[in-house]
Order: sequence, then structure tokens, then C-alpha cells
Amino acid sequence: MTGQGELELDRLTKRYGEVQALDGLTFTVPPGQVFGFLGPNGAGKTTAMRAIVGVAAMDSGTVRWGGEPIAMAARRRIGYMPEERGLYPSMQVLDMLEYLARLHGMTAAAARSAAAHWAGRLGLGDRGQDRIEALSLGNQQRVQLAAALVHDPGLLVLDEPFSGLDPVGVDAMSEVLAERAAAGVTMLFSSHQLDLVEHLCQSVAIIDHGRLVVEGSVADLSRSGPLRVSVRVADDPDGHWAQQLGPDMAVEQITAGTVVIRLASRADAQAVLDQARAAGPVEEFGFVRRRLSEVFRDAVRADSEPDVARAGSASTGGANR
Amino acid sequence: MSGQWWALTWLVARREIRDRGRAKSFWVATIILLLGVAAGAVIPALIHSNPTPQRVGVVGTPVTALTQVAREAGRVSGTPVTVVPLPDTAAARAQLRSGQLAAVLVGNSVVLVKQQALASGSPGASLAGALSQLAGLQKLYRQLPPSAAASLASHGVALPIRGLIPPGRGLASRITGLVTAILIYVLILTYGIRITIGVGEEKASRVVEVLLTTLRPVQLLAGKVIGMGLLALAQIAAIVGLYLILGTAVGSAAVRGTSAGVVVTGAVWLVLGYAFYCTGYAAAGALINRQADAYNASLPLQLPLILAYVLSYTVLYASSVNWFYHVLAFIPFTAPVAMPVLVAVGAAPAWQIALSVVIILASTAGMAWLAGTVYERAILRTGSRLKVRQVLRSAA
Repeated sequence: MTGQGELELDRLTKRYGEVQALDGLTFTVPPGQVFGFLGPNGAGKTTAMRAIVGVAAMDSGTVRWGGEPIAMAARRRIGYMPEERGLYPSMQVLDMLEYLARLHGMTAAAARSAAAHWAGRLGLGDRGQDRIEALSLGNQQRVQLAAALVHDPGLLVLDEPFSGLDPVGVDAMSEVLAERAAAGVTMLFSSHQLDLVEHLCQSVAIIDHGRLVVEGSVADLSRSGPLRVSVRVADDPDGHWAQQLGPDMAVEQITAGTVVIRLASRADAQAVLDQARAAGPVEEFGFVRRRLSEVFRDAVRADSEPDVARAGSASTGGANR
Repeated sequence: MSGQWWALTWLVARREIRDRGRAKSFWVATIILLLGVAAGAVIPALIHSNPTPQRVGVVGTPVTALTQVAREAGRVSGTPVTVVPLPDTAAARAQLRSGQLAAVLVGNSVVLVKQQALASGSPGASLAGALSQLAGLQKLYRQLPPSAAASLASHGVALPIRGLIPPGRGLASRITGLVTAILIYVLILTYGIRITIGVGEEKASRVVEVLLTTLRPVQLLAGKVIGMGLLALAQIAAIVGLYLILGTAVGSAAVRGTSAGVVVTGAVWLVLGYAFYCTGYAAAGALINRQADAYNASLPLQLPLILAYVLSYTVLYASSVNWFYHVLAFIPFTAPVAMPVLVAVGAAPAWQIALSVVIILASTAGMAWLAGTVYERAILRTGSRLKVRQVLRSAA
């Protein structure tokens, strides 16, 4: 089975006491993509994911999958990995997987073979009879992923699937996610490891304070923002050659002779190159892609500024009293 | 509730049963319980132990007639008798002296004993006394037509005794009542706390968040208490079965008449008590975030049972039931222990038992509704330990 179309979060709103966890959060996850869900701590990612799988009731707003609000029958086709890992510590690995597969509607025989398949696929083949609490944390994490995948879900909701994994585990997890996306599954996963997300995801949504701040494909986002080049001229570790640049160019950073220059237009790049060549042999020249981490920081900072201003005026008022 | 609804709920129940069935502690507890019940069945039998059989010699003919007299004498004096036919009086004297025989009936002439009793006036209850009187009657039978004599011999000579008031509940019934009260108290508490711990574990390990993507909270709750309930039922069946089998085997007073009734009543009340309490214990588990809080959270549910259990000693050892304990038998929180105790001492007429059953059945529905609401609202709320009132006041 493959996916059932796109996942839509439509104006989700949720307040916990004084905290506005979600504030009209709206975005769409297309099927067949590895889709990253980013945001600082407390931005509302976990609340949004719990809303999708139906374990958190919203004050208002709807989650739709394939155009339909997610009902109980559709929930059986969701694979969910909660932020705080949840398995029965004293159950054996295969029993646990089989139990979850059956709860998602599989027959006993199908559940047993799916449990064995996913345990083997995630490198737990020889740990099937072990109690989950006897496994290392990394292996428990693999069981948790297997638990989300065992019933062949059409929608995967994974909250921080990479946290606590070693590099081998990260590779195994990445491979599985890419494969499921290629199979047409709709997928949303949250992470703080931005380099990893950049490498793995086709698209991302970044939220802050319960609102969407940036959404788009990783390729588009890396091309967004100011145009920059990085240049290194031989025997000039301090980048002296770049001291006299044109009016629309600004040196952003100099690291071990590599100078990053922000430009106003693509045409300015040639002027920079000319100037560098005049100063000496050019060892490196290229456009700088915008890193996802930068996109993230810029987006979150821009979103927070009004709050900072408010907080500042409030504290001033307090001092005056 | 569709077939699929029950199929999923049954999956939850089956997991509970397997999970507990694998735990060593479950089997240890079961064995200890069974040993306790075995003691409960056998001890009343020992207290009411039948006297050891006495050997009675008979000399002369016809042997069958003499044997019949000896047996009848045993019955009248309440002593089981083994009859030993002997060739002559000399052999009888020798065996009497060596203590192998308790008494010897010689033809229709004399009853021999080892040592003459000092007061030989009317030794009605003693074996030798009964022998002497019955053998004397036997002489009289001879004067009767053979058919009348045979009829008398086969029906016995003693007349039945009828009392105006039914017999009071004896010690055996009270001990059975005590064992029953202890078992009800222990089993409801054990299973209840087990449920609280299990729900708390599901909440603390967050597995509940995965489960609730496909299950409704009420299914998870129902599956858990049904699974635990089936285990409890199996344990009760094993206990009652062992009790009846063992009690019959040792001829214990515990399986005769009133005591067997107490045991069956106890089993019924155990089921009713479990049904009433199980959902409450599950709700207590939904309020906690650490397993260590399980005992504290379920304490309010333990106290009524502890009260009824402790006070049951005053009822079982006193000659009368105080009004306070009588009231407890109609309150659903205490009735599962109090009512079987009243039955054990014979203080509860049938209409009172029926009324109490109706009350607890109605209360069970109420408890399930309340506990289900608390459970549903609290099971996904992590953080600090919750209070029932706080949960009920919050929106769903």
C-alpha cells in the first residue's frame, strides 16, 4: 500500500492554560517527499504532530489527509513515533511489533511476518526474543521506528526520529525514510539536526510560536536570501584584497583566507572575480548556498523580534515604577 | 460497539493475560494463595477431626448379628468401629490386655473391657456402654418375629433428634468466613493495584500515546480490566475448586452445608467486588506519572476494604453482629467483604443479600462511568500527578 494523498494542517489552534501552543498553524505536506518539520523548542511541533495522530484535541482547526478529516479508520494507516518513546519495557521485541501490527488491523499471520521483516530490516533480527528494556537506547529507537512502520502506514509522523541515534543508526533511519517516501508515503518528521534535514529532506516547514514562518523546498530555500560568493586568493590569509570593494558589496566573513561577500546582483560577481585575480592567483571562487540552518535562524529571529521588543518595553515600564 | 471494536479490545485483554502469565510473581502469588486455601479447607477438618476408629472384638455366633450390634454401638456412641471376629474368649482377653482391642462382645452374655469403669451406672456415650445396652436389646429382638427384628436392625434403634431452632453457625463456618474475607480483600487489592501500576506504566512509558492512535481510551481501559478480570476469575476457580476437592477428600466440615455456601457466596462477591473496583483502580493509574505513586493514588480505594476486613474479625468472633457492620454490607465499597462475613455468621437473610447485590451492580455502572471519564481525560496529560477533581473540572 502507498500513500493516500497530501496532509493538510488547517488553522490548528490549541491553548494550554497560559501557553498558546498552536496559533492558526497551516501548511501542507505533499505525498512522496521526505518532509522536515522544524522549529525551536516549544514552537508547537509535538502538539501539531499529536493533533495529526489524534491524541491531542484542538481548540479549533482541522487536519485532513487525502482531503478527508482523519477518522478512526484512517488513523490505523498512520505510523507514529512519539517524542517520548513509548513501548512496553518488559515485552519482547517481536511480540511488541506483532501486537501493534494487530492493533492496526493486520491478521495474526501478516502481523507476525511484518514484525519479523521490520526487525530484520532495522538490524534487530537476532534480538527478537529480547525484552525491550534489555536493549541499548539506540536499539530501542530502532524498535520504535519498526513499531511505526510495521503496519505499512500511508502516513508517517515521526517526532525527533534521529535523536539519540549513532551515525550508523542515522544512516539506517535515513535510508528507510527515503525509501518510504519513494514508495509514495506521506511523511512528516521533526528534527533539530538541521544539516541532516537539509541533506535528507525535499521540503521543510519551519514554525515558531505555533505559527508557520517558512515553508518550501530545500532547493528553493537555499537559493533564497542575499546572493553571496566565497573567494580565496593565494597568500592572503587576512583577505586584504577585499578591502576596496564596490558600494553594493559587503564582506560578511573572513575565515582562513576565504572571504564571503554579499552582492546586490549576479553581475557584481564578475567584478569581484576581476578584483581578486588582480590581487593574486584565485584558489577558490563560488556562489555560497544558503544553509538551512541560516534559513532557520533568520526565520526564527524575525519571528521573535516583535516579542523581544514587547518584552523590552515591559521591563522598562517595570523599572520606572 | 462493532465486532471490530471488541476484536481490538480483546487484543488488549489478551496482552494483559500473557504479560501477567509470564510474570514469576503471578505464579508465586497463586501458589501462596492455593496453599492458604488448602490450609483453610483442612484446618476445620482437623478441629472437627473424627475420633480414631476403635477395634471391637466379637466372640460367638452368629457373627453377622454380633457385628451389626458392634457397628450400631459405634454409631450410637459416635465412634467409628472396626469389628474383629475372634475364635474364643481367651484370645479376646489376650488382645484386650495388650491394648489391641477397645472392647469385646461375647455372645449375648457379657461385654469385656480392659479396665472396669468406676461409675458403671449409665455409660450412654461410651462404646462399651452402648455395646452392653444394644446387646441387651438384641436379646429382646429374639423374642420378636424375624421380620420385625430385621427391620429394627437395619434402621437402627436410636430415634432422630429434632431441634426447634436451626443449628447456629459453627466454628468451621466462621473460619471459612474468615478465609473467604481474607481472600476477597487480598485479591481485590492485589488485582486493583496491579491495574493501577499497569495503567501508570503505560502512561509513564508513553506507550499509551502509540496505542491511542488506533484505540479509543475506553477500549484500552476495558481490555485491561477484562484481561485482569479473566485472570482473577481463573484464580478464583482454581481456589474454589481446590477447596471443594480438598475439603471433600479430608471429609472437612468446611465443604458441608453452610460452609460450602459461604465459599460460593464469597466467590460471587469477589467477582462483584472486582467489577466494582477495577475501573476505579484504572482511573487512579491514569492520574499518576510514576509507578512509585501507584499505592498512594489507589489508597482511597483501598481504605474501605481494609476497614471492612479489619472489622470482620469483631463479627466473626463475636456472638452478634453490630449495626455498623450490618450497614457496611450495603455500601458498595465495603459490601464485597462485609456481606460474605454476614453470610458466614448467618446474619443475612436472602432478601438482604439480594438488595446488596442490586446496590453494587448499580454502583458498578456508576463507578465505570466516572472512572472512564477520569481515565479518558487524564491518560494523556503528563506532568505532575493529577487530582480527580481537577480532571473532572477540566474539559474533555
